[in-house]
Amino acid sequence: MDSDDLLGPLNESKDDYHSSDEEDEWSDGSSYSSYYSDSNSTAPDWEPYVDDFTGELLYIECHPFVVQHNKDNKPSSHREFFTKSHLRHSTRGKFLRLIRKRESKRKKKNQKPLEVADTSTTSKVKFQDSQDGEEKEVLLEIDAENRHNLSSDKSLAESLLGLVVSALSDGNRVMIAGFSYDSKAKHERNIKIGDWLKSINDIEVNVDNLDDILQKFINRDVVLLKLQRVTGVDVTKDPPINELNNESIFVKEFLSNLSNVKDEQRLMHVLCARLVGMVYINTENLKESNKDNEDIVYCFPTPVKSNVLSTTRGMYITLNHLLNEITKSKPQVSSIDHNGQTTHIAYNNFGSKLLLFMLPDVMASRDDTLLISKKIVRLLEFTYDSIDSCFADDLNICQLNHFLARFFAGSLGGDVWCTIQQLLETEEDDLIKPKKQYYFEDLLSVVPVINLTDEANMLVDDALTELEASDYREWNEEPLDCQRLFTIIGSAYYHSGYLVTSHFIEGDLIDVNTYCKLHGYFHLSKSEPVKSLVLWREVFPVSCRKTDDKTIKCPEGKRYLLIVGSGKDLLTVIMEAGGCTEPAENNMGPDAFYVEEVQATLAHIQEVGISELANRILSTDSNEQIALPVPNVSKKKGEFININFSKATSSAKDLISSPKKNEVTSILKRRSSDQNFINHQGSSSNVSVADEYYDRQSEGSELSQGGYSEKSEISDDSSKNFRRVQYDDDSDTDGDHGDDSQLDSSFDVPDIRQSLDSEEYRLVQLTAGQENVLIHFSELNITRGVLLYPLEPRITSQTYEVIVPNFKRCSLEIHRMFQNTLRFTNTPTQEIAKSMMNKSLVGIKEYGILFECPYLDAKDKKNKIKYWVIGRLFSNHHAKEIYVCYRDGIPQNLIDIAFKMEMSDM
Amino acid sequence: MSAHIICVTGSGLPLLSRKKGNSESLPFATIGSLNGLYMFGKPFNVKLLNCSTNDYVSCWREFEDSIVIIGIASGCSLDVLNSLLDIIFDAIVLIVGIDEVKQQRNVERLKREFRVIYPVIDRLLDSLDCGETGNKHASDILGYSEVISCPENNMIKIVLDSYTKCVDSMYSCVIISEKIAVATESWWSLHPNEIKLLTLLAVADNLTTAKDVPVFLPYKSAKVAFRFVVCTLMPDVMLCCLCGSTPALNDIKHFAMQCFRNSTSMLGAVVNSSPRSFPSSWNIGSSILSLLLVNIPSKKYTIQYPQQNCKKTTASSHRLEILRSFLYRTVDQYMVKLSENSKDGNANDDNENLNTAFESYWCSEYHKCYAIKFNDHILCILFNASPTTHVMRLTVQKCFKTIFSDKQLCW
Repeated sequence: MDSDDLLGPLNESKDDYHSSDEEDEWSDGSSYSSYYSDSNSTAPDWEPYVDDFTGELLYIECHPFVVQHNKDNKPSSHREFFTKSHLRHSTRGKFLRLIRKRESKRKKKNQKPLEVADTSTTSKVKFQDSQDGEEKEVLLEIDAENRHNLSSDKSLAESLLGLVVSALSDGNRVMIAGFSYDSKAKHERNIKIGDWLKSINDIEVNVDNLDDILQKFINRDVVLLKLQRVTGVDVTKDPPINELNNESIFVKEFLSNLSNVKDEQRLMHVLCARLVGMVYINTENLKESNKDNEDIVYCFPTPVKSNVLSTTRGMYITLNHLLNEITKSKPQVSSIDHNGQTTHIAYNNFGSKLLLFMLPDVMASRDDTLLISKKIVRLLEFTYDSIDSCFADDLNICQLNHFLARFFAGSLGGDVWCTIQQLLETEEDDLIKPKKQYYFEDLLSVVPVINLTDEANMLVDDALTELEASDYREWNEEPLDCQRLFTIIGSAYYHSGYLVTSHFIEGDLIDVNTYCKLHGYFHLSKSEPVKSLVLWREVFPVSCRKTDDKTIKCPEGKRYLLIVGSGKDLLTVIMEAGGCTEPAENNMGPDAFYVEEVQATLAHIQEVGISELANRILSTDSNEQIALPVPNVSKKKGEFININFSKATSSAKDLISSPKKNEVTSILKRRSSDQNFINHQGSSSNVSVADEYYDRQSEGSELSQGGYSEKSEISDDSSKNFRRVQYDDDSDTDGDHGDDSQLDSSFDVPDIRQSLDSEEYRLVQLTAGQENVLIHFSELNITRGVLLYPLEPRITSQTYEVIVPNFKRCSLEIHRMFQNTLRFTNTPTQEIAKSMMNKSLVGIKEYGILFECPYLDAKDKKNKIKYWVIGRLFSNHHAKEIYVCYRDGIPQNLIDIAFKMEMSDM
Repeated sequence: MSAHIICVTGSGLPLLSRKKGNSESLPFATIGSLNGLYMFGKPFNVKLLNCSTNDYVSCWREFEDSIVIIGIASGCSLDVLNSLLDIIFDAIVLIVGIDEVKQQRNVERLKREFRVIYPVIDRLLDSLDCGETGNKHASDILGYSEVISCPENNMIKIVLDSYTKCVDSMYSCVIISEKIAVATESWWSLHPNEIKLLTLLAVADNLTTAKDVPVFLPYKSAKVAFRFVVCTLMPDVMLCCLCGSTPALNDIKHFAMQCFRNSTSMLGAVVNSSPRSFPSSWNIGSSILSLLLVNIPSKKYTIQYPQQNCKKTTASSHRLEILRSFLYRTVDQYMVKLSENSKDGNANDDNENLNTAFESYWCSEYHKCYAIKFNDHILCILFNASPTTHVMRLTVQKCFKTIFSDKQLCW
């Protein structure tokens, strides 16, 4: 598998979705091949982007995502902002020098050697600065193979040089428009799409004479190309699409500050008008004649005068002080009304300093604002050690401005991340309506997890453990005579923003998760075609922060966060310098060796198919493969509606007049249909079952999607000897893991991947009764810091759209209620009497609400669905909360459900 | 627990300051600062609405651009405190009328007039759910009026109707043990806050045999005063009516005596049967500790106990407290407000209003609450910790049936 082959099908796959989609995803993800090419060159791709001063690095390389008409492979382009004219040489390649270049065991096992060797030595680079733009000279090897078999459908330049050319805007000059399929030139860093090809071997070329000149060099081995970067937008009349699109606006904003002062001012103006902001105040500097706002340490958005939060800060400072005096407790959140808009301000006290954080009501409720502000504080402490040091130097403030601009803009977009540019563009039309609903995953210190199979988890664990062990003895014949540079103190692997495996302790995991979430790394890995991502910066994880507890000693040293991404995967690692390693230096840059190790680990994880598996679980429509049979449920719901309500439209009326009577009839009805189902299940013929379903479906007014999938599900079940979980043997057989067409796809998978594919999922029906009535659930484990909930179901059901947000909203309310109980249990007995908490609320451990909503998926919206939203708190050993949403009918025991969840979770 | 209510004029003069609980009353300087906070925002077009700490919430409300009411309370929710401030403003209007509130010609006179409603405000403060045990008025629910449902009500109603004709009014009611026993149709057509305030005003400082107070009805006639006449028929039984300048107080007293002369034994029976227990014939299980029935349109409720739990003890006030918290935080929020919102038809938030709640429950270590809404009624029952959720559900459903099939019940 070389990288070209892997990348090849990407562009062809758009139509042929079903069969090759998985393969593409896989190959898309497997761009690790570029890492290996990096490893052989002296400096990795990301090397130039390391900040000279702080050693921080953020490098993102994306696949171009709009395809040009010639379907050949597109190059990965490089960033063009703040490109440095000099290469920073790897200063800390100690390990690189010490350890011989080796093929890692993992690589040997799974991967063929790559083609990199012959491309890296072909060119030498020389820079010349000229007025028009950077002029470059590149030595390019002429492809010996293609020299004599020139094909008619390729231009000469394409065959010989591997370059696709076209004309610049003047119609005469030659422009590099792309690279051919197996081009060596595309590995050449200095040839960029859009460059003007000035001369070949010092002979000036233009559109007319290019072919003639190339003919002359057909027998040469090497030619010298002179290229010049053409600046400005007038590169060509018809710029190649791929050039424009290989970085989305999101990625651009991710990487760079707003370049344009005017834009920045506009953005600040917009943000001020939207009533968002953050202000850090030193109350000690507060003076009577506060002319220059001496008390304001930091203010965003600027200027201070137009920021409502900073102009009215006197109010919050006094309130903070006054209310504390009256109630002996610190204010947490306030609401104000500004010109008819309600907005919330959260308080964070740090000694005499006060951090205020403001979000408007249209974006977040009072409680949400409080939680978000706590998250931001946590993030700041993670990145800058303390809030004070966060505002201590200009560089941090600059970073913070950038982060807040992106964060606020992103949140203003509502459910989708809105870029600054989108915000500015749509502001005049007032298009962006922030209508965000914050849920657990956004607000609480928990990490959403995706559950793969046991074997998959084990594989990831293995890979991470090997990485963390950093045991390099076997790879090196001579014993190492130097200390290692870093100890790895934890790592976690994410796919599409879901945690797969974590080796962090809980606090650090949440720190890292908060960092990735708020900075948008998860959004990046979910929605952008990332080819390669490397982040390196110093962090202060909670486990290593200084505490008041003197008994806990933390080794002196520095910790660094390294995030490596590729495709939808992220591997986050925290490394420690100091302690048992070589002493930490200030502003350490990333070490190429360690970055490569982490990249190799991620590549290995992808190689064994974990990424693919996770992706499949996330992308399959039916969502049946999740270890918990939730989405079946909503399908079941569809079925329930079809069978029950379409037959009994009158029951809706009964329901209003006499609920009890109706309940009885509806149960009877359901039971009879279930009976039906079971009888047929007993019969040996698949067809008859399927037919029965068809019949039943067509009895209803319409054939819904649910009917079809039900049918396929059943035939699958019977044909595949489905393994049922023991104690659930009278549940119906909806616990299958879906259609197998993808498993049978013909591409070559390593053995281990096949074994992953064939593993069956243990599925448990969580609810009691024969029919699965569960609509949604979430399990919140604060102690472990994880959140489990069904992955975004792709069911297009309007009813579902109504129920689930309501469920999430209510669960958050219920969660807040449970906080009283938890607080009460954690308060010492002698303080309870003094405490002012509402004692009626302190023992609540279960809270349920029955809702009714119209069934919207049918044409007449008269039918209603009744469903429960129930939360249950388990506080015995460690706090755990479960929230379920299920259809009313069969009484459920929450303890039973929690038990089943636990069983299927492990 | 503690709660403070401060009322300040637009120019910053304090009009009244009441507190509840064992905290010290706020010094003048603090009151000034609290008001100053609100005033500070005005030039910036900023109105301070509220602020909360871990256990406390505080609210600032400005009414009619002339009066600022500030509330600070522990343990309760922001919504409840907000509606408390609303009803306190209504209480102020009730006494002095909206014109006086707007113009404030004589602040000293206003302050004096406010004294009349101090007991009313103190009672209102008792309806905050602070989770405190030993609250005498734990059965007070903000926004709702408590009624007595007893078999005698039908008879009392007939007498009341004849009395109402005599005094030439449409608005009259009989209050027994501080709860409304019977009221005329028109009385129930008043705003719930008005009914609540008039009841509290009637039972406040109940030392005289008759009261004749001019009142402005905040929603019905905020500018023109009515006469609110209260006659004490016997201890714990009061006859109230709203009337014009005639008839004279003595005449009203005379009518009251005349009409109710023959009903004293009946009224006495009702007084003695308070707090109400539901008939043992209902036979609805022993796990029930108390029962709360709410009528949503007329905003009235009644609380009943099983016979063995009838005595007023600290435990019973704690139970009421739990039931009240349950009502404020769940029933009111999901069953009443949600359905009222959807009736208002805020079409823009289409998805949010499609969901209406019908049942809700809490399970705590020691108690369980279960509420079911059925048409215009909500029945909340407090159980001990023994029944399971579906047993509770069945019990409440059964209670509902029993209550509405009981023909003797009148409320």
